[in-house]
Amino acid sequence: MATRMKLKLKTVFVLYFMVSLLGLIYALMQLGQRCDCTEHDLPKDRTISRLRGELHRLQEQMRKSEATKQPLKQAAKLSPPTIFVITPTYARLVQKAELTRLSQTFLHVPQLHWIVVEDSPHKTPLVTDLLVKSGLTYTHLHMPTAKDRKLQEGDPNWLKPRGVEQRNEGLRWLREDRRAQPGGDTQEGVIYFADDDNTYSLQVFEEMRSTQRVSVWPVGLVGGMKYEKPVVEGGKVVRFHTGWRPSRPFPMDMAGFAVSLKLVMANPEACFDGEAPMGFLESSLLQGLVTMDELEPKADNCSKVLVWHTRTEKPKMKREEALQAQGIGSDPAVEV
Amino acid sequence: MPKRRDILAIVLIVLPWTLLITVWHQSAIAPFVAIRKERLTIRHHQLSDDRVEGRGEAGGQAQDSKEYCASDKYIVEVVRTEYVYTRPPPWSDVLPTIHIITPTYSRPVQKAELTRLANTFLHVPNLHWILVEDSQRRTPLVTRLLRETGLNYTHLNVETPRNYQLRGDIRDPRIPRGTMQRNLALRWLRETFNANNSQAGIVYFADDDNTYSLELFEEIRSTRKVSVWPVAFVGGLRYESPKVNAAGKVYGWKTVFDPHRPFAIDMAGFAINLRLILIKPQAYFKLRGVKGGYQESSLLRELVTLNDLEPKAANCTKILVWHTRTEKPVLVNEGKIGFTDPNVEI
Repeated sequence: MATRMKLKLKTVFVLYFMVSLLGLIYALMQLGQRCDCTEHDLPKDRTISRLRGELHRLQEQMRKSEATKQPLKQAAKLSPPTIFVITPTYARLVQKAELTRLSQTFLHVPQLHWIVVEDSPHKTPLVTDLLVKSGLTYTHLHMPTAKDRKLQEGDPNWLKPRGVEQRNEGLRWLREDRRAQPGGDTQEGVIYFADDDNTYSLQVFEEMRSTQRVSVWPVGLVGGMKYEKPVVEGGKVVRFHTGWRPSRPFPMDMAGFAVSLKLVMANPEACFDGEAPMGFLESSLLQGLVTMDELEPKADNCSKVLVWHTRTEKPKMKREEALQAQGIGSDPAVEV
Repeated sequence: MPKRRDILAIVLIVLPWTLLITVWHQSAIAPFVAIRKERLTIRHHQLSDDRVEGRGEAGGQAQDSKEYCASDKYIVEVVRTEYVYTRPPPWSDVLPTIHIITPTYSRPVQKAELTRLANTFLHVPNLHWILVEDSQRRTPLVTRLLRETGLNYTHLNVETPRNYQLRGDIRDPRIPRGTMQRNLALRWLRETFNANNSQAGIVYFADDDNTYSLELFEEIRSTRKVSVWPVAFVGGLRYESPKVNAAGKVYGWKTVFDPHRPFAIDMAGFAINLRLILIKPQAYFKLRGVKGGYQESSLLRELVTLNDLEPKAANCTKILVWHTRTEKPVLVNEGKIGFTDPNVEI
């Protein structure tokens, strides 16, 4: 009796085990197979698509009816303030690439006037052609940096301030150009200093358009931190959140503020001071224009990062240099 | 003795069931886990509903939400294709679609890179961006960014197993960065499009830190099989380019680094017609055992011969794409505990 019981139990166990194993094998076979979810998803999908289509149509209708009202209003109103973007640039391998992708961003921004100032004794054909092909409204200037102020080949980036003469030249041209225009003194406009290797989202331009005096916002990947930003309390800037020399009058990056055209015209002497110590370049301009409590915080009370201080690596040219030493370098006529 | 048998019996009972249950959690056996699947589906639709508000003029909209129930050990894929027409990325019926495959991974400059890439792509008509993240699940940063751009996109993800990335020994060589992601995108294309009746398309592998001129995309559009062009800043040179003879055929490669590779070209230097991808479904990038610089060859060799290559960019004399690399930002002032608010997205 006992052995039969045991045997029965044994077979039961073995059977059980085999069944479980088969079930496991079946489950493993199901892996990687597309499951038959269609009967669950499709009706929901269809309803949602249909509703969304209707919603969009209604929104479009609303917008169309608004648009028909607006032209009447806009005839009386002026066009939105122009953003004057001053970009200093200098010849190096990645220059064309940087200016190309910068122009691709700027093409999306309405009422933008790009002022490109080359660090060069004369305008280079590379930049000239690029600006012509870009389709943007632009002004092409040039202003060479004095030799003793210029960074040499092995110098680290922070040794001498860069772009000072070029930005000042941009300001000078702008002032001259506005004065030459009738009613230029009271024209609406915003000036933004945009370096050619940073990254700009399209929102930052919309935020800065409403600048009355000087507006500020956070900048990502700068100052040795993920972002630097002004600290806003009660709608006013009270101090700056930065890891490097926070005692500066305006401890922020060039990409973190914009100045209204009116303010620049009203202060004809305001410009960047090339003799200022490291990191005080921005302050050297802003000190003469505005105080901290007059700053206008943008980007949702300075809580969003809309511009990043990216830097592009210098491409490795070891093989190129070796070839050029042999006299068989790449065709210099091909513009890079 | 009986005790041991009892233990054996219990083990024999419990083991298969635990295995089965763990497997169930991962995979989806349709008839049995219908309820769980429904919850998953609903969650997805809720996510996409937030997208609707704040849109500009919309020509039309179709949402094709497909859910992938596949679950490999390494690949967990969830696919959401959204076709949203907001501001003109114009869409024409005659232009072939350019499918851009971009692998990406999380690092501080990721959002900046993708932002400026999106600003470039917004100028290109009939563009479909396939962004594949190297992550376990799709990150909210990329999801939100893609939604806000208004581009046509497909958001995929697959995680490269960590040990493959870190180790450098010959026996278990690293999977080159981005390979699994590009292969996943190729697989998605093959499963989405049918070789017989698909719309004309071209596939281009675009890394997120390069710079692309708008002219490049127009040159790509006329690709019949595989087209090639020069790329700047690769191989330690000002640019690398294919050698084109007087008859307009590619016969070699103007590079210093191993010009005898079957296809001595950078990922950004070629584009493939979608048809070719679909009729050769076994062609993928080789995952392992690939020498440096041979990755592109591992795919192209299965698709085309040197003779079939079409030179673009004025017979490969103009530079339309630059292999720029972005510096890793120095975050020294963050310190050990982080100085800045981690909730602010950069």
